[in-house]
Amino acid sequence: MTTLQAADIRKIIVACDAGMGSSVMLAGQLARQLKKFPVTVAHSPVAEIPADADLVVCHRGLAERARAAAHGKPVVAFQIFLGDPAVTRIVDAIKNGTALDV
Amino acid sequence: MSDGHSRSDKLGGLLEPCAVRLAERAADRFEAVSRCGEVLVELGAVEPGYVAAMIERERDISTYVGAGVAIPHATAAGKAHVLRDALAVLRFVEPVDWGGEQVAVCVPIAAIGDGHLDLLADLADVLMDPDRARELREAAEPEDVLRLLGRPHQEDS
Repeated sequence: MTTLQAADIRKIIVACDAGMGSSVMLAGQLARQLKKFPVTVAHSPVAEIPADADLVVCHRGLAERARAAAHGKPVVAFQIFLGDPAVTRIVDAIKNGTALDV
Repeated sequence: MSDGHSRSDKLGGLLEPCAVRLAERAADRFEAVSRCGEVLVELGAVEPGYVAAMIERERDISTYVGAGVAIPHATAAGKAHVLRDALAVLRFVEPVDWGGEQVAVCVPIAAIGDGHLDLLADLADVLMDPDRARELREAAEPEDVLRLLGRPHQEDS
């Protein structure tokens, strides 16, 4: 397990396959929720996760592929697209400036 | 990630009234995805080859997102068949079994870029709000759907 400090999370990548559906939806939603914080949210295909990502978020079905391509960065897997507790924890940590265990 | 365009044109031609179909029927999830693909073909948004890529993606990972809604779309390879970015809304008279979930509404997607990000984030907002999610599932007119998804986001003017 890795512990990230909220202040160290500057770039979140939502990793996906096609980058057309749910990952776009989640990236848009995260960007809105974190609008007031100095955090960039983008999405990318799992094979093209940028090296400067601090945290990678993806569906559980893609987690293994994402981990292999995430440049050693922490990967948070979620199961449900809307309101998954794993995603809520990330948002809360950034909003509250607390540490995040991933 | 730009949030720049004005709210008045936020549907931005991505979701047209004729793309809202409220009386669909499908025996199962894959028939529903096929119907979604046919509507995108009819709208001139995709070539017929896109439909098979939608079914392939649905087999890989379900596109169910929650609140009785799925957002079928293709695999990365299927993007080659996209002619223009467009979304549609299909409401199924009888909910469709979606791997144990019940789906009443599908929002199929054809997109090459990120132009639909805002609209999808709006859809997520609607689905997170139980009252508005129910309004979407029970919409009687295409206009009701467009109004729900085109409603200004609360943080904007």
